[in-house]
Amino acid sequence: MEWKDVLPVIAGAVVILVVALVVKPALLGEPIGFGSRGLVPAGDPPAYVPPAPVPTATPFPDDGEVYTRNFRWTAIDGGVQTTQVTVPEALFREHRETPRITDYNTWGRYALADADRPVLEDLARRIAPPAANPDEEYFRLMDLVFFVQQIPYDKDDNATSYTEGALPRHAMYRAGGVEYPKYPAEMLVDGRGDCEDAAILMTGLLDALGYDTVLLRYSDHMALGIRMNEFNPCYAKYTPKYFEHEGKHYYYIEGTDFEWWNVSVGSTAIWGTPRAIGDAAGTGLPSVRSETPQIVPLRYIPEPGEYRIRPARLPGGGA
Amino acid sequence: MSMDPDTPEPSGGLKIPKLPDLEIPKLPNLPKITVTRKQALTAVGTAVFVVVVAVIGGAILLNYTQNQQVAAFSSHVAASEADIFQVYDKIAVHMRIPTNDLSVAECDAHMREFAAIARYGRDVTAYHRQIVAADTIPEAYTGAQSAYVRALDNLNRAFTFWSSAAGAYEMRDYAAANRNLADADEAWRAYAAAITDYDRELRAAEEEGTEEGGEEVPPPPA
Repeated sequence: MEWKDVLPVIAGAVVILVVALVVKPALLGEPIGFGSRGLVPAGDPPAYVPPAPVPTATPFPDDGEVYTRNFRWTAIDGGVQTTQVTVPEALFREHRETPRITDYNTWGRYALADADRPVLEDLARRIAPPAANPDEEYFRLMDLVFFVQQIPYDKDDNATSYTEGALPRHAMYRAGGVEYPKYPAEMLVDGRGDCEDAAILMTGLLDALGYDTVLLRYSDHMALGIRMNEFNPCYAKYTPKYFEHEGKHYYYIEGTDFEWWNVSVGSTAIWGTPRAIGDAAGTGLPSVRSETPQIVPLRYIPEPGEYRIRPARLPGGGA
Repeated sequence: MSMDPDTPEPSGGLKIPKLPDLEIPKLPNLPKITVTRKQALTAVGTAVFVVVVAVIGGAILLNYTQNQQVAAFSSHVAASEADIFQVYDKIAVHMRIPTNDLSVAECDAHMREFAAIARYGRDVTAYHRQIVAADTIPEAYTGAQSAYVRALDNLNRAFTFWSSAAGAYEMRDYAAANRNLADADEAWRAYAAAITDYDRELRAAEEEGTEEGGEEVPPPPA
């Protein structure tokens, strides 16, 4: 046996190995070398698909039918005011046909309803016109608070709480009675409502003026909180009540009632003052005195606490 | 009628021809193989050479193959990281949007964007998980591979919870949305832990490779 006999054998073996381990995998796109790595999915990696745009709501026509309501109320300076509110009938009807949401955590959506915003902004401007003097800011705020507190209280169970004289079809029947959170425009047209209706209307108006507010939910009551850095007026005969939420202080405001007295003995006429900011004890409700309310932000945006990507080192010393 | 046994005639009348006697040729005498000592040594030497070449070649090929496997794994991790950071860019921009003064419609649009990012993240992690998990790699790197796949799984789970949170928001079930976000946060923490495991496993694999005197693995293509 000589070298010339051995070399072809070796050359053949090398060719077979090269074809099997290099050429074939290269042609088929498989990894070069021994073994198979299984199937790798073909195609490009997924791309970001932005959300489909949602058509904007058609604004209600200016020249359509409207509900006109006149509110006679007392400002905090004692002066009697009359304010007219107009609400497009189509808007009111649309609200009445909208099913209510059972989860009270979402009721901030009623206060911030986009369709009601023009009505609220207009009303807030007229009740509390912009003041040149910053010291007047508190009076603007209290006028607005007092305006809502003077809207008559009426329970959701009562047909008198609705301008149609009957319960709306989307009223929610519960063990404790009827629940029907009203949009601000509904409350204005009906001219009455219960605690959550007043709280929703007041937060909507205050939000239109730029105040940061939340709803305060008790077991049998709803009020609102207004964000203030410090509120401890010297005239207050009480310790202003506030609740902390995300590091901010929200002071209690009652939406449905004010301090009132009969003008004279035997008279049905009354006079009064607004229930002040932070005056939780004055409401007389045991729940307000004893419970810590659940704070319901008007704007709810689910925000994750964790979302940071940790860079992974690459095998083989890559960056 | 009698029949001649040498020329049988069946009833059909066909005759079978008589076959000639076969003659078996004599086998030629094979030449006697005579192996000299030199030839025997050459044959043995050749055999030893072939075995040595096969062993050395196999070792080189095996080493080359392992390097290729690690390089492929590395490039898949690099591609995964690049795509995940693209998702993160979207997340970071989204999280920077102030939400204090949004209208209801803007809040809803914000959440639709959140849902789209969640879908994107879920698809990207599922895609790369499939690729990285299919990699065949040297045994020393299986721990790192397993940890990285686990990281992608947790990230995928986190994005799935985000999607569910966005869906709950759409259904006005904020309590469910909060629950899903809490679960998502947990999945994010599990992802971070898996990345830490991956780094540790990778370091161990590379130290093992260095101790064995293996060739340095080239960095993956940029």
